[in-house]
Amino acid sequence: MAAETASARHRRLRTLGSYAFLTAAAIVILFPIYVTIVNSLLRPDQLVEQPPPLVPTSPQWHNYVAAWTTGSMSTYMATSAIMTFAIVAGQLVTSILAAYAFAFLRFPLKRTLFVVCLATLMIPLEVTFITNLDTVTSLHWFNTYEGLAVPFLATGFGIFLLRQAFLQIPRDLQEAAQLDGYGHLRFMTRVAVPLARPSLAALGVFSFLAAWNQYLWPLVATGGQTPLNTVQIGLKALLGQQVSQIPISLAGAVIAFVPLLILLLIFQKQLVRSLTAGAVK
Amino acid sequence: MRTTRLSRLTAAALFVITASTATATAVVTADAPAAGASSLPSCNLKALQNHKGVVQVTFWNSMVQANGQTLAAITKAFNSSQNKVHVTLVNQNSYDDTWQKYEAGLTNGQLPDAVQLEDQRTQAAIDTQSFLPVQSCMNAAKYSTSDYLSRPLNYWKVNGVQWALPFSVSAPVVYYNENAFTKAGLNPNNPPTTLADMLKDAKALKASGSGMGLVEDPWHLETWLASANTLFVNNSNGRKGRATKGVFDNKTSVSIFNQLRQLVRSGDATTNPSTGPDEYDNLLGMGSGKYGMTIETSAALGTVTKLLSGGQYSNVKLGIGPFPVYSSSVKGGIEPGGSGVYISKKVPALQQAAAWTYLSYICNTQSQATWAAGTGYIPVRKSSAQTATVQHLWATDPGYKVAYNEINNGVNDPATQGSIIGPYAEVRTDVLNAEVSMYTQGVSAAKAVSTAQKNATQTISGYNSRLGVG
Amino acid sequence: MTDIGRAGMDAEGGLEAAALVVETHEAEVEAREAGGDTDKTTGDGAGGALARRRRKEAALAYVLLLPALVLFGVFSFYPFFRNFKLMLYETPPVPGLPARYVGLHQIVPTITSTEFTQSLVTTVIFVVLVVPISLILGLALAVAAHRKLKGIGIYRMIFSSTVVSSVAVASVVFGTLLNPVVGLLPWLGINPTPPALESTTWALPSVALITIWQFLGLSFIIMSAGLQSVPDELLEAARIDGAGAWTRFWRMTVPLLSPTIFFGFVVSTIYAFQAFGAIDILIGNSNAVRLHTNVLIYNIVNTLQVSNNPGAAAIMATVLFLIMLGLTVLQMRLLERRVNYGR
Repeated sequence: MAAETASARHRRLRTLGSYAFLTAAAIVILFPIYVTIVNSLLRPDQLVEQPPPLVPTSPQWHNYVAAWTTGSMSTYMATSAIMTFAIVAGQLVTSILAAYAFAFLRFPLKRTLFVVCLATLMIPLEVTFITNLDTVTSLHWFNTYEGLAVPFLATGFGIFLLRQAFLQIPRDLQEAAQLDGYGHLRFMTRVAVPLARPSLAALGVFSFLAAWNQYLWPLVATGGQTPLNTVQIGLKALLGQQVSQIPISLAGAVIAFVPLLILLLIFQKQLVRSLTAGAVK
Repeated sequence: MRTTRLSRLTAAALFVITASTATATAVVTADAPAAGASSLPSCNLKALQNHKGVVQVTFWNSMVQANGQTLAAITKAFNSSQNKVHVTLVNQNSYDDTWQKYEAGLTNGQLPDAVQLEDQRTQAAIDTQSFLPVQSCMNAAKYSTSDYLSRPLNYWKVNGVQWALPFSVSAPVVYYNENAFTKAGLNPNNPPTTLADMLKDAKALKASGSGMGLVEDPWHLETWLASANTLFVNNSNGRKGRATKGVFDNKTSVSIFNQLRQLVRSGDATTNPSTGPDEYDNLLGMGSGKYGMTIETSAALGTVTKLLSGGQYSNVKLGIGPFPVYSSSVKGGIEPGGSGVYISKKVPALQQAAAWTYLSYICNTQSQATWAAGTGYIPVRKSSAQTATVQHLWATDPGYKVAYNEINNGVNDPATQGSIIGPYAEVRTDVLNAEVSMYTQGVSAAKAVSTAQKNATQTISGYNSRLGVG
Repeated sequence: MTDIGRAGMDAEGGLEAAALVVETHEAEVEAREAGGDTDKTTGDGAGGALARRRRKEAALAYVLLLPALVLFGVFSFYPFFRNFKLMLYETPPVPGLPARYVGLHQIVPTITSTEFTQSLVTTVIFVVLVVPISLILGLALAVAAHRKLKGIGIYRMIFSSTVVSSVAVASVVFGTLLNPVVGLLPWLGINPTPPALESTTWALPSVALITIWQFLGLSFIIMSAGLQSVPDELLEAARIDGAGAWTRFWRMTVPLLSPTIFFGFVVSTIYAFQAFGAIDILIGNSNAVRLHTNVLIYNIVNTLQVSNNPGAAAIMATVLFLIMLGLTVLQMRLLERRVNYGR
């Protein structure tokens, strides 16, 4: 009896210890974000106060208004949203089409072409942007939405992910559909795509995150110029332009971060799934 | 460089209050050699005269905040003053951005009719073969330049050809806190006038609890060299022929670097970079009372005065003094900085003529007066300085006059007109890297100067050879 | 793609290995099927119909593949191969003027230039700063959160959260945290001269800190996923055997997780090799510290955009490609061995 209580107490202590560690870690990780939020609500002169205020005593919400209007965050957000939407939609469509071919159709060079698609993953943007910049320029797409989005409308990762999902669909189902007179296109839209929804969601979330957070390409493909600054490039401009108004650039950072936080809250499972697709087979 | 930062100076403005103190010294003038280029492209002003209807002109500029508003006002005045030309301003945020976008435009065809380019881009701009020298239009219009201040005009003149009109011209000045000077036992009406005095004052300030903020601007060496009437690169600073190497590995440079090294290594001055989030720390530190003195471009003044004047920082009483020269016994001059305005050769003759009409307007007497009053840049014309606008400004805010006097006074020769170098930005980076290596790694001044010259020369010859002229 | 995108890309890189393994198996099956088909098609009319159907099916397949293949061709393979052409040309320092053919002559000077070698060294130092720390922290958090506790979901969410922060957000956040005049550092009495972001010693570690924070979320997610694939019974059995937590961790968890850790290693290494944004935002071009934070990508972008030198940029980009390829191949090898092991 006594032994049991001891072990129970031991377990309770261990649990308490775990919570203490977890909480400490959470505080350390969130601290930069917390300070950012607090500082974004301060007056500029409060920023240099000692000790620094740990809560905004008189929150300056107009910092957010300023970031949104004069700081052009509204424009940046719109640009990012349009670009991201185009990329996500494009990647879903091209990946579905290609993955369907690889999963359900027989054709010469299938294996070679699949390797070709996967090989694109080995060629990062850092290697291709030199020429892509020229390509985009000669197509008169410099500093346009086309230039921002078109180079990313297909992804080897998406094709791989969706092909895996399509391969999970039982062959019987395909045969049954065939007997029902379903052609390939109908089978794809009515059966395959709905069944692959989880993978589509994972791909969509992943593409969204990657597109929204892009930095190098939007910088070079627009020359970091208005009117097509994305949020990420806009933040740089905001930081550079209004250093005295640090709170406003911090408000801008919060504004840029929020959509992704919401994304994480809603789609955590899908996101984790796509991010670890390669780690766990 | 100094103006790149400037154009974004809003923030720093918060911490500076208002200008006072002015210094005026003897006036020394020397006339620049007359322009004499034979084979210039033509500037067809008649095309505009004969044209019916309005010609649309785009002007890329890098002016933000107060500076941008003033430019907009001048442009509006231009547009309503006549009915042949309508100018649309396209703001590119910063000088670097403008240049980058212009370079991109050379391949993608999106080019403006006129553009404002930073001082250090002069040779590179010429090398693009995409500009019509304003000299062409000056000749066609029989335009007189005798009213211009000599050094700014000559800054954009290469081999006798005027490539751009000086538009926004500034010079570095000393910003100091009179209260901190008093506290340190220094005379608040006597900011340092030489480099050696600056070191002494920084030491006194440090001893009394403040010190000096020193931004790592890449033009320290050349500016002090100009003040000592000493060349930076060969071929008369690139004015008589293309510069092929640095020529500053000499006692003067070593002495300048040695003093800067001492200033920083002793802790009397604290440095901050000229880009990134800390770029205004020297000015922010002035506001919080951390620093009693710093060197910053005069172009900050307009934004500063407009935004500030609130008097939140009661322990700071701002004073403005002239740039502390290398030595009072050597006669030199402060090289101008800022930007010139160019006309594109890639647009139709009609647009070129219209662009000229606009550029000559924004550089006329009243525009330059308005410009100076609204921004802190100096008026580039002597007649502008005589206008009621400028006289009133100088009377109420004598700090504005300091940079004008700096640029107007002193010796006018290639050593004080600033250099013309193809890869100017990279050369400045080479020199700055060497300067900073003294502060952070304790490299000796002599070694830093020779490294700077070696690397600068390498950069220049690499550029020239890629251009096919070296 | 950047940041997480890159990381994902690397995740993809990892995938490839797995994909190829799967693929081999499938190819065999297909080959068998195809073999069977040839037998049937000889001769009769039904075979002709089948052949027609096959041709139709193949035509459909190519149509479906067309958009992706065209995009890959234009924006991946063409630029990749064009780099080899660019290497042979020297470009004037201002755009819009014709390039000059120089053959192989600029390759050696470019890769032996001090700028490039220094940039490689800087990149390696940066990678060494980022990779081990972010992996160890990620693993520690994953182990700590791998317990059935009330509210653990919230902790897991917090630990993953930095995965969605972009490099620009992280830079703005840390740029302020590291500011020597504003806020915390001066209050804590940490007042380094020069401040961290301008110090030749501390600028790179500062950028590394930002990168670690940003990568921590992904590191945690990867490690957690790995942990979840380790059967709990194994660890439970060890606990019953009386193994202490520390022993269990080293003797059981780490070996069982080694494929995951290795995956994380490759992903974070590639991620760190591609660092660019934080340096672009926080250090900038005319900062003297730039020389000490001039990582590979930054140098490539600068070479292209500031020096207008696509030839040299292409050479450097190809070196970068070879490094990445090496890492991916290394991972593929190890993954294959692991698969074989398992059987």
